[in-house]
Amino acid sequence: MLFPMSRNPEEPVYNRIEEVRAALGFSRQELADKAGVHYQTIGYLEREEYSPSLVLALRIAESLNQEISELFSLNPFKKGK
Amino acid sequence: MSKKNKIYWFEGVTEKGVKALLSDENSKYKWLRPQRNRRILVALMAVGLISVAMGSYWPTLKTNLNLSDGTSVVVYSVTAIFVIFAVLGGYSLLRISVRSIADAPDELLDERQIQVRNTSIRYAYYAMGYLVLALLSLMFFGPELKMFQPEGNDGSYLMIATVFAYASMPSMVMAWCERDI
Repeated sequence: MLFPMSRNPEEPVYNRIEEVRAALGFSRQELADKAGVHYQTIGYLEREEYSPSLVLALRIAESLNQEISELFSLNPFKKGK
Repeated sequence: MSKKNKIYWFEGVTEKGVKALLSDENSKYKWLRPQRNRRILVALMAVGLISVAMGSYWPTLKTNLNLSDGTSVVVYSVTAIFVIFAVLGGYSLLRISVRSIADAPDELLDERQIQVRNTSIRYAYYAMGYLVLALLSLMFFGPELKMFQPEGNDGSYLMIATVFAYASMPSMVMAWCERDI
């Protein structure tokens, strides 16, 4: 991207937000409301185009009843894990 | 009991106004959300700003109407007023197209939106810097090149365009660059 507008790190933070959210039957809007962010931000996170702050990562993990290490990683998750 | 609507005077937004734009509750502005439409709006806004800046060159269409009772009325072109109002309308649409994120205070945005807003303002600052540099160059070299010397040019149109550009540049940058808003 010529002009990156938000944190788009050279070392991306991988996540399983979409997978866990879908398994729990939450919509993006519902998760956004629980985590206190806009639903577009959830979209950016799921596409790994934005890396969350530690506080937001913790809030999302709590909203999805997951440990933060199960939801976020510096290495890509294996499919189906 | 409805909560009082907080007005952010410095940013020029209201709490309810920003929250309404962020929540998608008003579907009549949905057509402004696709990046392609936002970019068209930015291009039109840029044309509008240049038109205002070149206001001194528009034909004035100043006409003396001699009335039957011997008095005369001078009629001026309304082009300038029309273009300025069109740019004002474009500015409003531009703010709506980016959900007022470019102008909203921290407390109404999430962390990604704050980052996007700050980045937009930073790029807008660079853009305005180059614009002011270009204007200063024109002021410096203009008289030698016999530029910007139409009759009655006091630089007011250029000043109006610069103020509009200053106000709308962060929204223009955001509308052009951000994929999903």
